[in-house]
Amino acid sequence: MYGGPVAGPTVFDPMTLPSDDNVNNYTFCVELKGSQWFLQKGKMIAYYGQMEFNGVGHGRLDRLVRTSFHSPLHASDWVVAEGSGKMLLADRAFDVNSYDLDEGNLTIRSGNLLAFQPSLALKQSIVPGFLTLIGTGKFVAASNGPVVFMEPPIRVDPQALVGWADCPSPCHHYDHGYMTGVMGGLRALTGIGGASGEEHQFEFVGAGTVLLQSSETLMAEQAMGAVPHEPGVPGGGGVPGHHGQQVGTPRLPGQLGDLQRRFGL
Amino acid sequence: MLAVDMTGDAVKAKNGSMVAYDGQMSFKKLSGGGEGLRGMVTRRLTGEQMTLMEVTGQGTCWFADRASEINLVNLQGDKLYVESSNLLATDSGLRTGTSFTGLRGASQGNGLFTTTIEGHGQAAIMSDGPAVVLRVSRQYPLTVDPGAYIAHQGNLQQSFQSGVTFRTLLGEGGGEAFQMRFEGDGLVYVQPSERNTIAGDV
Repeated sequence: MYGGPVAGPTVFDPMTLPSDDNVNNYTFCVELKGSQWFLQKGKMIAYYGQMEFNGVGHGRLDRLVRTSFHSPLHASDWVVAEGSGKMLLADRAFDVNSYDLDEGNLTIRSGNLLAFQPSLALKQSIVPGFLTLIGTGKFVAASNGPVVFMEPPIRVDPQALVGWADCPSPCHHYDHGYMTGVMGGLRALTGIGGASGEEHQFEFVGAGTVLLQSSETLMAEQAMGAVPHEPGVPGGGGVPGHHGQQVGTPRLPGQLGDLQRRFGL
Repeated sequence: MLAVDMTGDAVKAKNGSMVAYDGQMSFKKLSGGGEGLRGMVTRRLTGEQMTLMEVTGQGTCWFADRASEINLVNLQGDKLYVESSNLLATDSGLRTGTSFTGLRGASQGNGLFTTTIEGHGQAAIMSDGPAVVLRVSRQYPLTVDPGAYIAHQGNLQQSFQSGVTFRTLLGEGGGEAFQMRFEGDGLVYVQPSERNTIAGDV
């Protein structure tokens, strides 16, 4: 009685699940054979086999964290999965894809990164809100809609930018008319009188690849904590003479974690 | 979107989920999900509320709800357990009821009870993103995040796993503090997205 093609759904078991590949556009399967993966908290949806999930602050993982995790500010958002079996990852029904880095570097919006192999090193980008992966290995990232790869020189909409690889020149670009004249300023401020909403872009030049998502819906930003308060650190707010504000003290693994954020204090 | 071709027969569907139809259709609200007085009282008591309507007629009827993904499940005399919020439509020949799920439901924020569907026919369940169907067999038990679980069928025992340790209290937990473990023979449906649960943040 139901119309349309009623092909039974594909049923997966540990044998038929792919190894380190997509199950469908929205679900990714990671195979662990006594190995370890870093993953963002709460992105595991199901697994077969024996696995353990430990916060990055877990004592036993100190060595691993020392070699491949250099982002103390959001250590509490990451866990290490270890064991053997197959594990499914997904994120709010967004598209997920895996990418291979070979002695490369890639910078990605922090909310978009789901998981990565410990052979990669995770560092905070100088650009606030972004993370950089360096080394060789596989990582899994989510995007709203499929990802498109573009070659610089290119100007992109800030909301569509997912990340970039090998081109260290992201800068802001403002349309000339937007910046000059009283009318331009008024338009930009009020949005009245022909603001197209596209007066501001990110510009990339040089050799590399820019990753864009095919929608301007942003993923909820991962809480980043804040960068250390030093003069010269973008986003650090470290104006000389205004040192020692309480906001954004870097939190190290092993400290009290995110109690404040968790309980809204 | 689910299209149902009907020739005088009937389907049960979530109240208000019809988006279009052609031909002749009549819609009748089924008080208490068509489970009779006893079912109605049970649902009221358990909080597993579900408003269904019965659609009868000739033609095609389209159902949809909040643009969620729709998955068809074939039932051959076995029992499907699904959250009432994830159920879109069933053949009218299928019996629906409620059953006790224990702690698992509580951790999901879905209450202690779930909806069961049994008989022969098809049911349409909804998920946020296309569901992945995972087989559970004797040698391969499965562990599922409660936020991603939507339904299961077959002869499965479920148990509740808690990984809450002192680290969780310190905010350094593994992020997967509550899990559901399925053993036995059957199928489990998971969605590529997690509902907000109290387990989601620990």
